[in-house]
Amino acid sequence: MTVELFNQEFQGILGQLKSFLLRITASVADTEDLIHDTYLRALDKLHTFRGESSLKTWVFTIASNLAKDNLRAQKRWVENVTDITKEAALSNREFFQEAMKIRMTSPNGQYEAREHIAFCFTCISKSLPLEQQLALFLKEVYEFKVNEIAGILGTTEAMVKYYLHTGRSKMIHIFEGRCALISKTGVCHQCSELNGIFNPKQNTQEELMKTEMVRAAEKGDKEHLFDLRMQVLKEIDPFESQASALQLHHLEHNREVMEKYLQKNED
Amino acid sequence: MKQLITFLTAMIMTTVLTAQNGKAKTVKTTFHRETSVSIDIQSDPAIVWALLTNASDFPRWNSTVVSIEGQIAPGGKIKLKSTLDEKRTFKLKIKEFVPDQRLVWGDGQGNRVFTLIKNGNEGLTFSMSEKIGGAMFPMYAKMIPSFDQSFEQFAADLKREAELIQSSK
Repeated sequence: MTVELFNQEFQGILGQLKSFLLRITASVADTEDLIHDTYLRALDKLHTFRGESSLKTWVFTIASNLAKDNLRAQKRWVENVTDITKEAALSNREFFQEAMKIRMTSPNGQYEAREHIAFCFTCISKSLPLEQQLALFLKEVYEFKVNEIAGILGTTEAMVKYYLHTGRSKMIHIFEGRCALISKTGVCHQCSELNGIFNPKQNTQEELMKTEMVRAAEKGDKEHLFDLRMQVLKEIDPFESQASALQLHHLEHNREVMEKYLQKNED
Repeated sequence: MKQLITFLTAMIMTTVLTAQNGKAKTVKTTFHRETSVSIDIQSDPAIVWALLTNASDFPRWNSTVVSIEGQIAPGGKIKLKSTLDEKRTFKLKIKEFVPDQRLVWGDGQGNRVFTLIKNGNEGLTFSMSEKIGGAMFPMYAKMIPSFDQSFEQFAADLKREAELIQSSK
């Protein structure tokens, strides 16, 4: 493959790659560094690319390896990340001032509940073991096949199936207990609360009902609800969406809060 | 010699055939009691091994375990709560750890041994046994509940979960 053709194809997958790395790292800076390093590594190794997999799979393999190196030393987040970060935000006046400024001035500063659903999944998925989180995103959001994921993660198809099944089961269980959008016993109402703050003139319930997952909640099919949640993530580019500036601001805040929290609770 | 081999083969086959049905068997002596169960599982051993060594995930798929804290890893220590006696926490050491083959955890009173033997049909035979006892065993033997039902449930849960994962797309 020529460098010109590689550059052209790399541009074609760049959006998905950036989105994947952001959701894995929860850091804009780390994502940009990893994109840069992935590009250079791929360019350097281009002569070894034999077309045995698609270029997308090959590039995601390089990116995933670099991300694993980057994340291996970091502690995993906790399931109740959104409780901890909410508490931190409520005691941080600057956070809401900055968020409101983004809301009022940025073209990508809208608040949309479905964007928050995707953001929330990103945060909570960081409580999964790294391999489970990687496998889950690769399969459920970026639509790689099990054998491709095995290649990307350097493991067997059996282990990918294990990561997927366990990761998916854990996330379903967590959202069943936490997410008030899908469960009457869910303790987290942040989507609705934030909609009330950022879109005070909207009828929050009407807004929420625009999301298919919320409409399907009555039927209580947990697996289907999880698939619909994944559909929301597939449809959103966290760097380009109408709410990206606001959600990236929230994500940066959550990452900083979690780093401090994990450091404080190291023992 | 040929007769001996035939006899031993027959013995092994009998053991395997009677042990693979998921029914627990308990052998009691004055100073010991040993319960065992075996079951065929149509899955890659790596899946079964991953299920058996992910401590915090146990209660999700195994209805006989209330919780396991700690690391199921070489030299690791775990705190196990079982449905056999939910008020009691068993503090156990990981004594053997051979990936995809053999796991042993236990304390001074006994050991739980898990073995995975790959068979020719893209599956494996899972066996679990626990021998408890000692010089004082006759004094408290009657206070220890039977493990049979719990062992059968453990094996059935493991088979169901591993085969579900194996058959996923």
